[in-house]
Amino acid sequence: MKLDPSFIWTALIELLPAIPTTLLVTAVSVLCGFVIGTAVALIRMYKVPLLYPAAVAYVTVIRGTPMLTHLLIIYFGLPLIIDGISSLLGLGFRSSSIPMIDFAFIAFSITAGAYMSEVVRSGLLVVNRGQIEAAYSVGMSTPQALRRIVFPQAFAASIPNLANSVIGMLHASTLAFTVSVVEINAKAQIVASTNWKFFEAYLAAAVIFWGLTVLIERLAALLEKRINSYNRGGVA
Amino acid sequence: MGEKFDISYVFTFFPKLAGTLQTTLLIVAGALVVGIIVGILVALPRLYSVPVLQRASQVYASFFRGTPILIQLFLFYYGLPEILKLLHLDVSRAPVLFFVILTYGLHTGAYVSETIRAAVTSVDRGQVEAAYAVGMSGIQAFTRIVWPQALAIAVPVLANVILGLLKDTSLAFTLGVMEMTGKAQSLATLTNHFVESYISLALIYLVISFALERLLLAFERKLLRHEVRVIDAYPVFRRDKSRGLRQLFARHARFREEVQKS
Repeated sequence: MKLDPSFIWTALIELLPAIPTTLLVTAVSVLCGFVIGTAVALIRMYKVPLLYPAAVAYVTVIRGTPMLTHLLIIYFGLPLIIDGISSLLGLGFRSSSIPMIDFAFIAFSITAGAYMSEVVRSGLLVVNRGQIEAAYSVGMSTPQALRRIVFPQAFAASIPNLANSVIGMLHASTLAFTVSVVEINAKAQIVASTNWKFFEAYLAAAVIFWGLTVLIERLAALLEKRINSYNRGGVA
Repeated sequence: MGEKFDISYVFTFFPKLAGTLQTTLLIVAGALVVGIIVGILVALPRLYSVPVLQRASQVYASFFRGTPILIQLFLFYYGLPEILKLLHLDVSRAPVLFFVILTYGLHTGAYVSETIRAAVTSVDRGQVEAAYAVGMSGIQAFTRIVWPQALAIAVPVLANVILGLLKDTSLAFTLGVMEMTGKAQSLATLTNHFVESYISLALIYLVISFALERLLLAFERKLLRHEVRVIDAYPVFRRDKSRGLRQLFARHARFREEVQKS
């Protein structure tokens, strides 16, 4: 094996078609995770009976175990459940007809949901109590106050955390190779082993991920500046 | 794919997986030692604004935080021997564990350096000035005044880094290290009981991260014992029995007034 700098460029070109898959996995897990996370955060803040202990357990268990185990449990466990139900009801549906990437979507959304719930919760806690009291005093109802006053400010405050979560899920999407989804990492493995040039291929993959990460960071900074424009001056 | 689900396997796998716990903990401990040393070394140029090194440390932190740990593992495993070969050093015989610990160490180092930087800069400038005013030297001011305060700020973030590291070690199996995840995979393929094996694995991770979290929380409390902790004094959402948001916020406002008065 000899170092071949020109192959880094070749590998980079070959990896480009895999970028949409990585971004798709990231986007789906972040969006579904955000919905799950918001629901869990609200359940925890309002202490909804019955659901509250379940939400706490969900967050603790998911945050206490590696993401790889979630993926593997879903990948091996879900087909057992689906096939069991399907044969019980006499449906002709088999789990093997489900595309691999769907398992990654489900597992990553569950993982992202737990981490997102903490992001949403801390965002909601940042909003000053006086804001919601002021909303009540001008006659808004609680949903109105939440929608018009709390959520926009909470969103602005949690942009850095959200960006971190997006980057975290972007990096975590490399795990999808264990269930044979061909994203950037899996593609790099293929390119590496077919050409027997491991270092160059992974360097190219690293460069792509680094670029994507910096891009997300920049975008988040821009968005934060724009969305916080109401917040200039004053005492705060 | 797989046999019928049998819960008893979860319990039989548990001690078998726990037997490889030491490898996982070895990676965590090794990476932590490397990470803290590297992290302090990398943070110093940025704290004291050393010209060229400052830029290098920025690039280092950006790279290790901007690429997935999985890619870094492969990169170091395949790349480091190649680069060292150019320097006429042969490390192809080195154990895989060496590369794994080095990679996790450098990865952790990037996060540790950012944490240290944030913690030190968050200590009020007036503290250092006050230390100088009573006649302390630069080193004295740092070790006696800045460091203890910075450590208290850094510990919760470091706790997150350590817990993240523990969970990240599950990726070491991709290079063939027989730590817990690798063991779980081989047990699963051996017996064809995949789900049971991974549930058992998740349980062990859960127990360890829970224990670690408690330990670090106790340490944090100890460091912060001289400060009034608002969170401890009044858990906003944890042990509150009130249902309405209005009452909750009214009570919170009253509490804040009391804190400000005292």
